[in-house]
Amino acid sequence: MNNKYKILLVEDEPSISSLVSTVLGNAGYQVIHAESCSFAKTMFSSYVPDLVILDLGLPDEDGMVLLDFIRRDSLVPIIVLSARTDEKDKVMALDAGANDYVTKPFGSAELVARVRTSLRFNRRTNLEGCLPDGRFALRDLTIDYGARRVFLADEEIKFTQTEYNIVALLSEHLGKMMTYSAIIKTVWGDTAHETSIKKLQVNMANIRKKLGSRPGENNYIKNELGVGYRME
Amino acid sequence: MKKTVLKDISLTVSILVLTFVFCLILREVFEIGEQVTAIFVFAVFLVSLLTDGYTYGLIASVLGTTAVNYAFTFPYFAINFTIHENIISAIVMITVAMLTCMLTAQIKKHEALKTETEKEHMRANLLRAVSHDLRTPLTTIYGSVTTLIDDESMLTEEQRSKMLVDIKNDSDWLIRMVENLLSVTKIDSGEVKIIKTPTALDELIDSVIVKFKKRYPTQPVTLDIPESLVMIPMDAILIEQVLVNILENAVRHAEGMTELRLKVFTLGKTAIFEIADNGCGIRNEILPKLFGGYFDTTPTPADSKKRNAGIGLSVCATIIKAHGGDIKAENAKEGGAVFRFTLATEEDIDEQQI
Repeated sequence: MNNKYKILLVEDEPSISSLVSTVLGNAGYQVIHAESCSFAKTMFSSYVPDLVILDLGLPDEDGMVLLDFIRRDSLVPIIVLSARTDEKDKVMALDAGANDYVTKPFGSAELVARVRTSLRFNRRTNLEGCLPDGRFALRDLTIDYGARRVFLADEEIKFTQTEYNIVALLSEHLGKMMTYSAIIKTVWGDTAHETSIKKLQVNMANIRKKLGSRPGENNYIKNELGVGYRME
Repeated sequence: MKKTVLKDISLTVSILVLTFVFCLILREVFEIGEQVTAIFVFAVFLVSLLTDGYTYGLIASVLGTTAVNYAFTFPYFAINFTIHENIISAIVMITVAMLTCMLTAQIKKHEALKTETEKEHMRANLLRAVSHDLRTPLTTIYGSVTTLIDDESMLTEEQRSKMLVDIKNDSDWLIRMVENLLSVTKIDSGEVKIIKTPTALDELIDSVIVKFKKRYPTQPVTLDIPESLVMIPMDAILIEQVLVNILENAVRHAEGMTELRLKVFTLGKTAIFEIADNGCGIRNEILPKLFGGYFDTTPTPADSKKRNAGIGLSVCATIIKAHGGDIKAENAKEGGAVFRFTLATEEDIDEQQI
């Protein structure tokens, strides 16, 4: 019986795919590999993987096409491989439903960590969901969704309504990179433009301060310049 | 483009109107009429000099001739080109306009050519520096890997792990080099303007420190940034790279450094970033060309730690310049090097073309 997680790797560079396969194989995952968009579609439908790692630059079609194809009827976690300079591509992929991205070139430890987080996050939402009256706990941070209260090591943090909404949203998507526009849409019901991004950044600055974070030591909320925030 | 056309038109009109009024005053009040043609020739010359292309100069010369003919030569307030003097002044003005325009066009062309050559020169320098800087780590990586493949059994465990660590370090270096090159080409690739978005200073610094810590976990950085939220319009990824480059430069080159400080403060509408170390400082002879070129490091031993800092720092300079800021390096009185660069905290409405 095989109860390993199945990971579909969609990547056309043989050297990268063989490296990723080795790394993930050693980490205890079963890797199936597709080199093109069309092949990946077939593989996805027949193997039903637990996670997809997708390189956006594929020979036959744009990786975004595959992303849309998968997201049409599946919530499987998708990690996108992207180059450093393409913040726009990252944001686009995340907004199209990707859960995370790994920037090329990446270390093997980083990749395995991302895969693990995405799988765990996925299981979390599947089993527990985002229950409004549930509780959330991450290290010293606890959130009481019912009472809309947040505690850090048993001490309550006084957040404003908006700040609480942001923190709660990030916690509901633990481990997932949330883009500016995704957060703004949920918290303010607004589309992302420069003033609303600024509003978000002002609130985030306050949240970080209240959580006792300092530059380089953001314990709960990681920020990715030009992309968004992630709770982890 | 539209703006310059509008500017040129208004310039032409105002110069001509002023000249016309001036000549009218001269004649009506002081009864001087002989210099009118000369004054108009001067006006035409000015228009040709200050506007773009031939059009405005030629229009000005035609208008000028007509004005002189109409208002200032006999018969007054009537057009009459049958008189020889009038024809001559018309020809003179048109010739002046043509010649001036030709000259200014030539000068502009020459200047464009000169900046193009300079750019070419920069590019050639960059290429040379890059191929040098890429070859060294590649040699190590290639050499180590082939050794590991071919003579695996001959190596001790210790040698093998040392080689692997070297390979990793050199790959790290290559990765950063490529990042730098990408940034420069992003800026250099013609009319692509830097897209500035308001960025929260503490998020920027956070990202920088996280990146830096990942690479140099043992080197602490003392931070001194404003408590209040500061928003600075910038291409955050590029500015992040500038900060990481300068911090990294300190780790690589400031010998004997025990403290590395990053301070940011605002002065009016300018944010000043200051990176200071208490290491060995920068040799005076390379200080002036630190950002400009890819200086030769041949006098220093071929130690991999001493590798060319030129690319990283000139990338910094390119990025800061493209943001309209300023970057400088100096040696502090109490020892160590200080790097300082500025960014505007508020975007000018009338954005400058980069």
